[in-house]
Amino acid sequence: MTTLVENLIVIISKLIKFISNTFNLGSGYTWPGHVALLVNPNFLKSRRIRFKKGVVLVSGTNGKTTTTKLITHLLEKSGYTVSHNKSGANLLNGIASSIILDFPAFGDLNRDFGVFEVDEGALPLVLSNLKASAVVLLNLSRDQLDRYGEVDIISEKWTKSLLSLNPAPTLIVDGDKDYFNSISQAFKGDTIAFGDSVDYLSRTKLHGLFNASNVNAAVSVVRFFGLKEGDFVSNLDSFEFAYGRGEVIKHGGKEFRVLLAKNPASFEHNLDLLLSEEASEYNLFFALNDKIPDGRDVSWIYDISAEKLREACASKVVYVSGTRYLDMAVRLSYAGVNISKENIFENLQHAVKEITLHGVSEKVICLPNYSSMLELRKILTGKKIL
Amino acid sequence: MKFKIGYFYPEQLNLYGDNGNVEILVYRAKKRGIDVEVALVDLGTNLEENRFNLVFMGGGPDSSQKEVYEDLLKDKGPYLKDYINSGGFGLYICGAYQLLGKYYKSADGSILEGLGVFDLYTEHFGNKKPRCIGNVVCELSDEFRHKEVFNSLNKIGSTLVGFENHGGRTYLGEKMLPLGKVITGYGNNSEDGYEGVLYKNSIGTYLHGPVLSKNPHLADYLIAGSLGLDRLESLDDSLILSAHIASKKLRQ
Repeated sequence: MTTLVENLIVIISKLIKFISNTFNLGSGYTWPGHVALLVNPNFLKSRRIRFKKGVVLVSGTNGKTTTTKLITHLLEKSGYTVSHNKSGANLLNGIASSIILDFPAFGDLNRDFGVFEVDEGALPLVLSNLKASAVVLLNLSRDQLDRYGEVDIISEKWTKSLLSLNPAPTLIVDGDKDYFNSISQAFKGDTIAFGDSVDYLSRTKLHGLFNASNVNAAVSVVRFFGLKEGDFVSNLDSFEFAYGRGEVIKHGGKEFRVLLAKNPASFEHNLDLLLSEEASEYNLFFALNDKIPDGRDVSWIYDISAEKLREACASKVVYVSGTRYLDMAVRLSYAGVNISKENIFENLQHAVKEITLHGVSEKVICLPNYSSMLELRKILTGKKIL
Repeated sequence: MKFKIGYFYPEQLNLYGDNGNVEILVYRAKKRGIDVEVALVDLGTNLEENRFNLVFMGGGPDSSQKEVYEDLLKDKGPYLKDYINSGGFGLYICGAYQLLGKYYKSADGSILEGLGVFDLYTEHFGNKKPRCIGNVVCELSDEFRHKEVFNSLNKIGSTLVGFENHGGRTYLGEKMLPLGKVITGYGNNSEDGYEGVLYKNSIGTYLHGPVLSKNPHLADYLIAGSLGLDRLESLDDSLILSAHIASKKLRQ
């Protein structure tokens, strides 16, 4: 591809980003990367993209967004420049888009680090396009079986692709996850394991054991990149939640705490978190969509422990919405949760309005899956992500 | 009276929330004041002293299915075959449905023998045919709808709704009755328009959802039928009925 075309894509993308920022449209789109890869399938291998100190790719079922955000935060606080796909667009075209938007209006992209979260299914393709110095594997559990297939299939694809890399990146894996043993053992490069100690977690605003693993993963990465304990520890407390991952949004006089719950594991992590906190007054709001990024099969809601659902909802007023609100309401009632028919809404906006106007508690805990989280944030903040 | 469910291979065959079927059966039986016991049948379980009212078995990832395959065929097979042939009630989903057939032919041509209790076979055509994934609506077959127990309980109509996700395509033998006819979806094989199998008191199906979650008429049929009851106290299923109706309008 000619530099001319590349420059054109960069400039048009920037122009559109400027327009969409001005009109509050959000920036989570992937078309610039899509177009760039269409014109030049090797776009990401271009010599005009330079990460002087290294690239880290973070994959796994849950925790990618929070982990890459924390890595970026710690590196930037230490004065490094970072390119990061913070919108969460984590397929090859999403990563390419985020890189394009980081290009200066003229010239090449020069950053110290590239920090990218990568969709589980897309990891092999991304690995073959971007030379990574480190690859983080967080965890692997059932998610969107209709799209990804079974967990074993992903694990096999990862192993095959990681073993084929020369030179091998450093593998940073959760050492408590036995299912990663076969990958680590087969892997020929260096491996760093992290665990779920809460030492670093307790210095952040984050909660929950699942976040302990995310924080330790991020710490392992910045250490690998040469940061010293004294360089990063003091910056842990200024880290803010990634969007939809624990953030609190004020809307209509209420505090909505948004906890992304997109598969059985992340759902149960969040229920554990609620059950571990000192019981306080709150309303619970579940939102379930079946759009393409969510997976169209919602059967997985029956993999969530009925007991945990029942306990977390005990003596709480529960609201339900999303395109599959009836499925969610039925699932909750089979778990023994009391649902009032007045509190279930096909329309998310109506649900938010009802909660804002008539919800009995100041605090609303929201457990949406992926696309319903994006829609909910848009309603609560009045704009799209970021 | 005790309702004893034999839940086969809960650890290995646990895909797609199908375990929810057992949760739903327990919930609906308990609501009627019926005493329920769920017996987990695993690789090491000795079945000799077990008497189940209902057997449930789901599907699993390939690796797990291989793990139970030998145990099922050699150890549990004769028991299950006898149980089904003598009219024992059962619900067999996806992988379990396939394993109870005569054989499973993989895309590479290799053949995996099944239990052969259902006269059907399954074939995977590899990349030649698309995987059957999507929402399903089907019309229960006449034979099923005319069952006396089903008729006395049914308040929801003659449709079943669910979600399918299978690579193998299943073909019924000439004398086998399908569970239903597909209105939306692929069903057994995307060719003959049938979904599932109805053999004596056993049901094989590709439907997930889990299948009993929005088909309470099927759940109650299994509870009443397996306990020999001709009626059950009715429950407030209005929410489920709404969910069933909404599911009929989902795009495939």
